[in-house]
Amino acid sequence: MYVCIHAPDFAAQAAVRLRPELRRRPIAVLDGEPPLEKVFAINLFARRAGLAIGMSRLQVESFDGVASLQRSKELEQSAQSAMLDCAAEFSPRMEIIQAQQAEQCGGTAVLDIAGSDRLFGATGEIAETLRKKISLHGLLAHVAASNNLYASVCAARGLSGTTDIPFGQEAATLGPLTLDVLDLSAEAASTLHLWGVHTCALLAALPEKELVSRLGQEGKRLRQLARGEYQHLLVPVEAEFDSALVQKLELEDPVETLEPLLFLLSRMLNGLMRCAVDRARAIASVQVTLRLQTELNASPRSHQRTIRPALPTQDVSALLKLLQLDLETYPPDAAIIGLELRAISARPHRAQHGMFMPQAPEPGRLEVLLARLRKLLGEDRLGAPQLLDTHKPDSFRMEQYGSAKASTATEAAGAKAVLRMCRPPVAIRVDTAQNIPQTIWFDGQRFSATRHAGPWRRSGEWWSLDNWCREEWDVALADQKAEMLCRIAHDPASGTWYLQGTYD
Amino acid sequence: MTSAALRLQLENHLALRVPAAFSRKVCDAPELMPSGICGVDELLGGGIPRGGFTEIVGPASSGRTALTLSIIARASRENACAWVDVYDALDPESAAACGVNLNNLLWLRMKEKPAAVRQSFAARKGEQKPWTRLDQALKATDLLLQAGGFCAVVLDMSDVRPQDAVRVPLASWYRFRLATAQARTALILLAQTGCAQSSASLALRCAHEKSEAWSAGEQVALFGNARHSVTVDRKRGEENIFARKKAPQFASVVWTGETLWAQNAQPGQSAR
Repeated sequence: MYVCIHAPDFAAQAAVRLRPELRRRPIAVLDGEPPLEKVFAINLFARRAGLAIGMSRLQVESFDGVASLQRSKELEQSAQSAMLDCAAEFSPRMEIIQAQQAEQCGGTAVLDIAGSDRLFGATGEIAETLRKKISLHGLLAHVAASNNLYASVCAARGLSGTTDIPFGQEAATLGPLTLDVLDLSAEAASTLHLWGVHTCALLAALPEKELVSRLGQEGKRLRQLARGEYQHLLVPVEAEFDSALVQKLELEDPVETLEPLLFLLSRMLNGLMRCAVDRARAIASVQVTLRLQTELNASPRSHQRTIRPALPTQDVSALLKLLQLDLETYPPDAAIIGLELRAISARPHRAQHGMFMPQAPEPGRLEVLLARLRKLLGEDRLGAPQLLDTHKPDSFRMEQYGSAKASTATEAAGAKAVLRMCRPPVAIRVDTAQNIPQTIWFDGQRFSATRHAGPWRRSGEWWSLDNWCREEWDVALADQKAEMLCRIAHDPASGTWYLQGTYD
Repeated sequence: MTSAALRLQLENHLALRVPAAFSRKVCDAPELMPSGICGVDELLGGGIPRGGFTEIVGPASSGRTALTLSIIARASRENACAWVDVYDALDPESAAACGVNLNNLLWLRMKEKPAAVRQSFAARKGEQKPWTRLDQALKATDLLLQAGGFCAVVLDMSDVRPQDAVRVPLASWYRFRLATAQARTALILLAQTGCAQSSASLALRCAHEKSEAWSAGEQVALFGNARHSVTVDRKRGEENIFARKKAPQFASVVWTGETLWAQNAQPGQSAR
């Protein structure tokens, strides 16, 4: 069983909902850029006075006693919320019905009240109670109940007050109503008008095949609507859950230290997590906004940080630790006078563990560990190195470290000679004979190049300002104690020698 | 009352406070991580202990880094590993050439100056203090071991001067040793001289071995390989130390690390 609530002239009603003194006066709601505003919606009194939708502001002002109001989407949103709140008292399953006319959008909703008769009484009683409740919120609504969803919608559009359509009487109830209740497109309306079809009963009486041959499947749909037989699967609206995951707090005194803030953050996070867990959700990210104290007459300032755990979590302590570490690493530069936490929820992470899983830190602990290390070393000093596609030596980038994954790469055969880099390269003094390094001074010591290989000339990016060129030598350096294998390089452009690294 | 009955009575009495007070704790044989270098694995009886503290010491060009990267290459194939780099000396290109799965390697690069000092909560309280590279590395290693989950953690102090390395308190090494045993992590310390002392369950000494002249007889010389030797200085659990009457004599092994270009080069051809 479905109950439809229809608020006629919804935009006009929404505009005067909070201004009762205007309800008995002709109202025109204007929309558009001044001075080219057009009438977007009117109420019954304005319609009786001769106003029509689409008139210009100048035309509206030629009528006496007409109140012109600017369209406000916020007011329409708030009126719709009030209407849906009333409906939600009877059933959580409701759908907002869209209309062809823009001024009617948002003013029609359908409830599935199947099974609620034991709680709220018979269908007629529910419809009447619903209409009264909505009128208390300043909205005049027509309510109709039927076993067919669209029959209830059409009846609510066409019949004022409360209507309860008995099972099997849909066609008879809708029959005398004009075709406007079917929410026709302009093309279909003009075609049917040409045919002389003005009521639902006339449309319902048309033969289906011939109607389809002329109007297509739209004709079949309209005929079923007029007969109260059009089947529709209710798609219930659900309020966006994440919009509810907000916690705000104003502080009486400015706070400069982190410890008292953590107590508040913990309490707020617990509240958010409780909401998320109640819906079997986990928190995927938390955005903390700290309102900062400012000088008098200065514009308000805030400090915003976002925490995104690697996986959605239900662990408040881990989130709190991440928040703490982040705020310690990126602290605000003034005292805090207000807090706001916004969370985004996600499905909790589920993992099937096995005996042969790779050894890796738990995702939650890894996130906290990385945050601690970032605080200790800095943002860019840790991660997984990735080689760049270039021949330039020491070219790599640091990427975010994630959980361990098995590699399919083949095993490197045998042991390798490994270079240890000098970052930045150490400038050295080199004595050469016939362009071959003989003696090298660095770190306050003198080394003899006992063996050498090179020069290996390398260059790249000659087409850009980042061009580089060098001559590399592999040398065995010996002093009195030991021998050391190094890679030294000569930059022909600047004529300097430097130690690039040591083989180890 | 016999001694056995007395022992049983005492053990029962102390059972709640000290379980099996007079029984010797049975230690399982440690799981070993192979290095992939045949001679070294034979010398170590299979590899370095997982859940143990391995110290690899030696001067520059002694093959410490190559040996460690060879171990990490096998460990990082499926598991998470970490490299705590005190002097930011790791070459990712060399690591990749050794077969290290870079995606599984968490590389921590110490730096001289601390993270940007701001007017922070900590600074307002006067808590901010500059971390030297070594302090940062010890703190980071501690965090890694306490977090657990890593198969191997390398603390690379190869370029730290010996006089600075020996100043690290023994308590730190002891703490690391306990943490590695608990977390089933292999901790590998690279240094110039031994500093972990008895905390290390395996101590290896590396040295550079002189090799033949580079590519003798060719027009352009080619650095093709470096020879290194490894000696075991200490190996915990090898034998009952109370029954030992003289210092153990560990053998050493010589191994060769080849450069990539030497592997790819054809005989009689200079290529790099």
